Amino acid sequence: MPVNFRNFFGKVNAEMTDAFMYANEPSPTISAQWAGLTRAAQLEIVRNSIRSDTTLGSDIVEVVDTKANGEVIVRFIEPLGASVRGALLLDMEQYLKDSIEPGLTVWLSPLGDKNSLRNLRGIEVKS
Amino acid sequence: MSDAVQTQEGLLILDSHKLSYHTDRVDAWEAGERIAPVSVDMSLTRACSAMCSFCYAMMQESQARSSIKVSDALNLLDDFAKMGVRSVSLVSDGESTLAKAYVPFIQHAHKLGIDVGNATNAWEWEPEKIEQVLPYLTWIRFTVAAGRPESYASIMYKGPEHTHVFDRAMTHIKYAVELKRRKKLSVTLGIQMVLMPHLKDEILPFAQLALDLGVDYAVIKHCSDDEQHTLGIDYSQYEPLHDLLSKAESMSSQTTKIIVKWDKIKDGDKPSYRRFYGPQFLLQISGSGLVAPSGMFFNARYSKLHIGNFTEERFYDIWKSDRYWRAMNYLASPSFDSQTMMGTLPIQHYVSVALDNHAKGIRKITPGTGPKPLHSNFL
Repeated sequence: MPVNFRNFFGKVNAEMTDAFMYANEPSPTISAQWAGLTRAAQLEIVRNSIRSDTTLGSDIVEVVDTKANGEVIVRFIEPLGASVRGALLLDMEQYLKDSIEPGLTVWLSPLGDKNSLRNLRGIEVKS
Repeated sequence: MSDAVQTQEGLLILDSHKLSYHTDRVDAWEAGERIAPVSVDMSLTRACSAMCSFCYAMMQESQARSSIKVSDALNLLDDFAKMGVRSVSLVSDGESTLAKAYVPFIQHAHKLGIDVGNATNAWEWEPEKIEQVLPYLTWIRFTVAAGRPESYASIMYKGPEHTHVFDRAMTHIKYAVELKRRKKLSVTLGIQMVLMPHLKDEILPFAQLALDLGVDYAVIKHCSDDEQHTLGIDYSQYEPLHDLLSKAESMSSQTTKIIVKWDKIKDGDKPSYRRFYGPQFLLQISGSGLVAPSGMFFNARYSKLHIGNFTEERFYDIWKSDRYWRAMNYLASPSFDSQTMMGTLPIQHYVSVALDNHAKGIRKITPGTGPKPLHSNFL
């Protein structure tokens, strides 16, 4: 990973001293090297990376998929409260950006609507 | 941005933002301070008895639902007052009129000096409830999917034969119009159509219904969709409707203004901004109690942006926490791209365009001049 990216993204979660500091910055994209890996290889790299740092919650978060656009899809092995899950996933994403590829982003699989009446519409939330 | 619309009661801005009337907060943000939102959009429940085909709430299921108790809702308002939140809109992802907290929430907010608006289908908004809340509301906006009963029932309920839901809504809206006139209330009454491109034949009947009801305005807006296109909205299909929409606007009367949210309809799924500054000024809270920067992130998919739940801890503590600001800073960083990582046209769209233009030096936000528009505390 280019050193300048590591430094650049190291600042992201720090206190922002200037509200506008990233107004014109592009978001990182996936490298050709990462895109060229098979899904199985991507999954192995991500899983190994998370296992290597015990603070990332590898015992409660499972990596289930990677996508061509750099999305890493995870799921919680047990429910996590709203006050905890955000920080845990942001830590994980930052770690993957720093250690593997700056264009990686972490997401969960989407949940469908629990409203039984609206479900009569038959609309399924796409992932 | 589009001009304000002159109504009998003042200038009405629906197709733009009102940050110019909150430059103290803009200045503080620019200085890097941890600001309180000017406005919070929320719901008191995730429940709803309608099944609108355009409803974004279908895409807003989070990990778990919590029930919002009356005491939770009133504590939340006390925290808003302490922080300096200036308005609350009960819209978000549920039908707040169904919640036990609905009436006490509105009355308590009024006592605290916080402006309250509400969007509702009005099905469970009976006269007794109307009498209890209307004097304390700044505005109320009724979701009216179409001007014809059968179409309304098809879009908002189980099918065209269920026109009783239309009749019930119209009875309640007429009651509110009459009560406002009788008691000379300052509340603004409007109806809203969420336009999906295939519903073009409903545009003119909707405008006519607004005139017949005698509400202050009728607004026609785009339909939001998530970035996976769950609802399948094709934004290119709005352009052929422009003439019809202009025709609807021309039906405006002295009493009732027909307003089209042109900027949102034209912006479609291509926002000009990549950084998402809007939530710092206009925060959203789910009817599940979940606090996330925007309704765009309520679904479990966006769990990394889930900050807390105000039924489990005081909102004031959530707002003061590092996790609140970490989520806000994430949205303002290159890690986040509004153009690819969230749904279209969030409630913070106008504000986010303005703040992005301000940040880039394209157009600075300056203090508003002249008389304040209606609802100036709602961004």
